[in-house]
Amino acid sequence: MQTGLLEGIARGETVLEARGITKRFPAVVANDQIDFEIRAGEIHAILGENGAGKSTLMNILFGLLQPDEGEIYIGGKSVKFRSPLDAIDLGIGMVHQNRKLVAAHTVIENIILGHPRAGRILNLNRTGDEITELCEKYGFKIDLRAKVWQLSEGEKQVVEILKALYRGARVLILDEPTTALAPPETAKLLASIEAMARDELAIVPFITHKLPIVLAVSDRVTVLRRGKVTARLDTDRVTEKSLAKKMVGREVIFRLERTKVEKGKTILDVENLSALSDKGFLALKGVSFSVCEGEIFGIAGISGNGQHELAEVLAGLRKAEGGRVILEGQDITRSSSLERWQMGLGYIPSERTEVGSIGDFSLVENVTMNFYFDSNYSPRGIMDYRKIRKLTEGIVAEYDVVTPGPDTKAKNLSGGNLQKLILARVLSRKPRLLIANLPTQGLDVGATEFVRKKLIEAKKEKAGILLISEDLDEILSLSDWVAPVYEGEFMGIIPGDKAQRQRVGAMMAGSRPEGLET
Amino acid sequence: MWEFFARSLAASTIFTFAALGELIDQRSGILNVGIEGVMLFGATLGFIAAQVTGSYVIGFLVGIAIGGLLGLLHGFFSITLGADQVVVGMGIWILGFGLTTYIGNPYTGPLGMDRIPTILGLSPFFYVGLVLVIVSWFVLSKTSLGLKIRSVGENPSVAEVSGVDVTKTRYLCVTVGGMLMGLSGAIYSLYYNPVWNYNFLMGWGFIALALVFFSMWNPWILLGGSLLFGTLWQLSLNPQLVLPGVLSRYIWRTVPFVITIGVLLIISTKWFRIRWGAARPEALAVPYVKE
Repeated sequence: MQTGLLEGIARGETVLEARGITKRFPAVVANDQIDFEIRAGEIHAILGENGAGKSTLMNILFGLLQPDEGEIYIGGKSVKFRSPLDAIDLGIGMVHQNRKLVAAHTVIENIILGHPRAGRILNLNRTGDEITELCEKYGFKIDLRAKVWQLSEGEKQVVEILKALYRGARVLILDEPTTALAPPETAKLLASIEAMARDELAIVPFITHKLPIVLAVSDRVTVLRRGKVTARLDTDRVTEKSLAKKMVGREVIFRLERTKVEKGKTILDVENLSALSDKGFLALKGVSFSVCEGEIFGIAGISGNGQHELAEVLAGLRKAEGGRVILEGQDITRSSSLERWQMGLGYIPSERTEVGSIGDFSLVENVTMNFYFDSNYSPRGIMDYRKIRKLTEGIVAEYDVVTPGPDTKAKNLSGGNLQKLILARVLSRKPRLLIANLPTQGLDVGATEFVRKKLIEAKKEKAGILLISEDLDEILSLSDWVAPVYEGEFMGIIPGDKAQRQRVGAMMAGSRPEGLET
Repeated sequence: MWEFFARSLAASTIFTFAALGELIDQRSGILNVGIEGVMLFGATLGFIAAQVTGSYVIGFLVGIAIGGLLGLLHGFFSITLGADQVVVGMGIWILGFGLTTYIGNPYTGPLGMDRIPTILGLSPFFYVGLVLVIVSWFVLSKTSLGLKIRSVGENPSVAEVSGVDVTKTRYLCVTVGGMLMGLSGAIYSLYYNPVWNYNFLMGWGFIALALVFFSMWNPWILLGGSLLFGTLWQLSLNPQLVLPGVLSRYIWRTVPFVITIGVLLIISTKWFRIRWGAARPEALAVPYVKE
């Protein structure tokens, strides 16, 4: 180990510096002369939209990619990373957003895997003691003997952090650290991050959205846009609005007006609905609610609390264990998905690439998936591709989907553009009920704003909308009704204008306040 | 009765070696369905080498060596070239079947050497097998190398960023695995049934393959399973020992497969997965391409 380069570095001294980093890919300069430095004990966030060059920079700092130009210095010495191992050896730790853990192994096995001090014969007791010490120091709580597949997203992230720390990381790169965490988990993580920074660790969170968190903990922010650094600021001098402007390059509306639409008749009635998860346990435990025309019903909750099962049951993709689903007066509990589409149900799945689209199909073919059963587009079972092509071209233009053309394969679209296509495809059928499951997850600020606007437009056109989201701000700013979901149950159903952030956040974590109408 | 027991144990030992080799392969994420082919090669070339040189040691060494080479060959296609592992394995089986028939034909007949002596009335290889089971269990679950092997079989990209050389680890496993399979074949043709005839194995390799799934990738269960399967196999040769006239030997021979199907059914149930997690290495038979 050469962590020696970072030994004895005092607070405020530069630990890692990147100068003039340039990385070109075919047709795009992902990083263009990026300078960046981080000091010991500092939290230095890197901000940017999808495609701003964040991942490229992150991968360069961790040795997964090699820059075409520019140099990296650690403790003042020029270094070259041939692979992540070099970076790890020099004291750089990475916490991946798509967790790099072996699900079938225990926490401790994951942490010690590949560790130079593991020795030939594993001494799990000694390792366990050392990890427990780290946990106590920074306030992490985790069962070291648990198997990783049994852990929540937040716990998995803790395992990754511990793994990096145990490896001797002095610089910790965090990829979207607060995505998929419940508000209380986020608070705990932020406290731990601050504890680590007090211990002279340098923390570099990479963030696409959730700007408030950047403001809450970081000392400095570097903003990237289109591969270039557009700003480097001390956090205490910026606001959410000014940061977003630097990221997107124009003003962004944060608070969308909760437009009041005159309440119409009930579209969806759900009575005591329950369903099993993939693993076979009861994930949805009897929820009842209804959605009216021109209403957004927001379900707030961290993934894994039954909301995805709910969405799939409503879409006809999962069997209901009990209860009833009534769409515009008709019992559709046992109807097929196709029957539901024909009755005016629209579904935006959370898995954009697995369920929402077929990667190897062109955009036209993907749009077809929502129209093949429509006799206007397939008279007597023969597809009218000219018509669908025209429709797709219209969608691409209206929704500003960035693509070379309608014959591009869906897998070549960025997340935001793909989501626009899926949204447009569903909305162009003028659904009576729209189920939007995590519609803005992983999208950058610009695309998020666009999707939200479209949801509001659909609401104005008298569609009933069921919005499922982990983003509390999204739920609170859009919904007419807010239902925090926890372990398969609604903790209450609150009118949107009476929903307070803190209270809903606590309910998402399982507290059921008294004296609320349900 | 003792005779039957000793013969069953000798048969079990052959399953133990071959299945242990396959288990090591599979724990690292490589599926070799061509065990039968590797065994045929090990058995035939080991038989010929022993007969020509008059030395058992050389016979076994040749069996081990050819097994290791075929393991490497399977590894080259499945690790380096990323080919479909089932297809490669089937290729090795067919190659083994055809080529050993051709090569071995002039040697058809008995080995014509003194029998290898037993130890305490049992096959000496049984004791070796026992040691190998203990060693494999210890290496897989208690050592750093074992953790690396298991990680590579579960999630190679995670192993890679943790500093494990996926390619090297897998090559190590396929080579050692292949050696064990080749040795298992040589034990068959030099000890268990020292007579060469074409395609003499008639499915032993496939039973060993089934045994790995039966064992849920655990060397101890594998040992128990090989005792069970070995006994069943021996029964299939002497169906008159139990329930005379009731079942033909061919029915007996299907029993290991029926049991394995039962085990596969159990480990694929929701109940099992929730309680015990997935037993199957997650990256089994999935080619790994470096990012």
